Order: sequence, then structure tokens, then C-alpha cells
Amino acid sequence: MGGGLWGPRWTCAALCGWRRSHPGLTAGVAERIEHFLRLGRRGPGAAERGLRRLGTWRRPSLARGPSAGPQWRPKGTNPFTRAQEEDWRRRNKTVLTYVAAAAVGMLGASYAAVPLYRLYCQTTGLGGSAVAGHGSDQVENMVPVKDRIIKVTFNADVHASLQWNFRPQQSEIYVVPGETALAFYKAKNPTDKPVIGISTYNVVPFEAGQYFNKIQCFCFEEQRLNPQEEVDMPVFFYIDPEFAEDPRMVNVDLITLSYTFFEAKEGHKLPVPGYN
Amino acid sequence: MLTAMSFGTKIFQPKPPDKGSFPLDHFGECKGFKKKFMKCLHDNNFENAQKCCMKFVLCRNESKEYLERRMERQLMAREPLGKLGFGDLVNRQSEAKSKL
Repeated sequence: MGGGLWGPRWTCAALCGWRRSHPGLTAGVAERIEHFLRLGRRGPGAAERGLRRLGTWRRPSLARGPSAGPQWRPKGTNPFTRAQEEDWRRRNKTVLTYVAAAAVGMLGASYAAVPLYRLYCQTTGLGGSAVAGHGSDQVENMVPVKDRIIKVTFNADVHASLQWNFRPQQSEIYVVPGETALAFYKAKNPTDKPVIGISTYNVVPFEAGQYFNKIQCFCFEEQRLNPQEEVDMPVFFYIDPEFAEDPRMVNVDLITLSYTFFEAKEGHKLPVPGYN
Repeated sequence: MLTAMSFGTKIFQPKPPDKGSFPLDHFGECKGFKKKFMKCLHDNNFENAQKCCMKFVLCRNESKEYLERRMERQLMAREPLGKLGFGDLVNRQSEAKSKL
């Protein structure tokens, strides 16, 4: 019979007596005790549980204090563990700040990367982008590198829809870097209508293309040919003297300049080179 | 063309000519000079300039004359020949003139 003896009636009787003998205590406390004892109804071991709770009821009341809310409180009652928890909390905050700063920094870097990369490409000349710093002063003052002879071959192409006869007038020419040279292409319009064409060019090998400078040519502008007209189209160019100093160009002896003519139509835009 | 491209390959970027485009010589005003130049090239095995020693370059003279003709005929913007890389030819000419 043991613990199960604490039936409801017995507890009430005990409590009533207890209440009368201790009037100073608050009613709430007594009710709480009653509540815990009543839990004994639920099973055989419940009475012990109830007793245990009776012995330790102080803590829950502290937990459910008057200003109960989502407030951080130290999980330990020990002052050392509390200090440690505070320390961890502070450290967590610092780490979080650093991580947030790094994230923002990465985002900023990704935006800054575009102009920075462009700058880098311009200074190093990688990616075939235009190397800044070419002016007519350079042409004036450049010294031909006479011991390096380069053969420049010429190629001419026409887009399928353009009925011109377009071809180079010399198959090749031997130049040295730093020397200006003239070359001719010839175009004939065999049709009976005036035709407007526009051309673009290409230089092979690719890396040599950045040293190939055209002073004047006939590309990227519309050229109109009247019916049955034949014209000479000159190209005035030079190869940059720095070509001779580039270690990547040591084995380059042949450069091919290739022009392609397209028909210029209304609204048709040829990708004209520029700063992009 | 484009099928040969893949991500990361360098694309050739054509550069615009420094002084723009030559106006077309519709009336063949410079044809004579051009013919002289082409003949010179043919004779000299397509060498733009003679590479040996201090020999005066022939075809470059022809090309200089062609460009001068173009400038005369308003088919090219007038520029001092030094700026077109013919500085040495101009100097030689002036030297020759002063000797005379």
C-alpha cells in the first residue's frame, strides 16, 4: 500500500490541517502543493514524483518570474558557467560580425571586379584587348627593327550575298616591325546596281594581331561602288616594333591579314570595334 | 566560325584604323602611282623595303608618292609625312635638296 496511500481525500485532510496551522503562508503556495499532491492520482509512482516536485518547487517559480518573456538568461546557476556562457555569447557575436562583413565584402568585390579586370587587361594586353597608348607620335618615332623580317600574306573574302569581286593585288609582302607599309586590294562591282559594302578584318595568328596596327584602311565604313566600277583599296599599316621584343612572337614569321566584305543593309549593324 | 569558339578562348578584337578609312578613289586619280608601286613590288619580290645595309628603299618611296597623291586629291587627310613613318625619306630628300 505504501505510497499509494496518499489518496486525494487524505491529502485534502492533511492540507486543511496544515493550512490552519500555518496561516502565514500564501494561498497560492498551498494550492501549488495541493496540485502536486493531486498528481499522485495518475499512477503508482506519481506520488513519489509529486513529492520530489514538492521538494524542488522553488526553481520553477524562479523560471516563471514576473517579467517572463523571450529574454536570454544564463542556463546555469553557477557563476562560472554563467561567465563562460556570456563569453561564448560575445565570441559568437564577433564571429557573426566578421562573417557578415566578409559576405558584404565579397558582394562588393564581385561588382568591382568588372572595371578592375578591364584595367588589368588593358595594362597587360591579355585577351587581345586594345593596348592603350598608341598615337601618331609612336609612328613618328619608331625605329624599324631591320633584322626581323615578317611575311604578310593577304586574303580577301566576300559574304555570300555580296556580289563583288574582291581580291588582294599582291599575295604577300615582306615587312619589318616598325616600318609602315602599303598594300592594295581591288574590288569590282559587276552588277548593274550600286552596292554598298562594309568590311571587317582578321589577323592570324591571334597574338600577333595586337601588334598589327592600321594607320588607314577601308574597313568599318560603308563603301559604295557604282555599277561596273572597280576601285583600288589601300591598306596602310605597320607592325609595332615591340613585336620583336615579345618572347611569344619569336617563332612568328608569317602574319595573314584577311578582309571580309559584307553588304551594308539598313539597320544591319556590323560590330564596329570600340571601347567595350 | 562561332562553332570553334569555346568558353575561355580569346576572341580577336579588331581595332579601328588610327586615321580612319580611305575614301574610295572612284575616278582613278591615284591609279598611276599605284601601278608604279605594284610594279616596284613585283620587281623587288614583294619586299616593302630593302633590308640590306643603307640602301635607299625603293618601294617605300613609291608608297610615299601614292599617299602624297591621295592627299593632293583630297582623298586623304593631309598629314606631315613624318607622322606616317616616312620621316627618314623626307630627311633624305631635304638633304639631297640642300646639297643641290
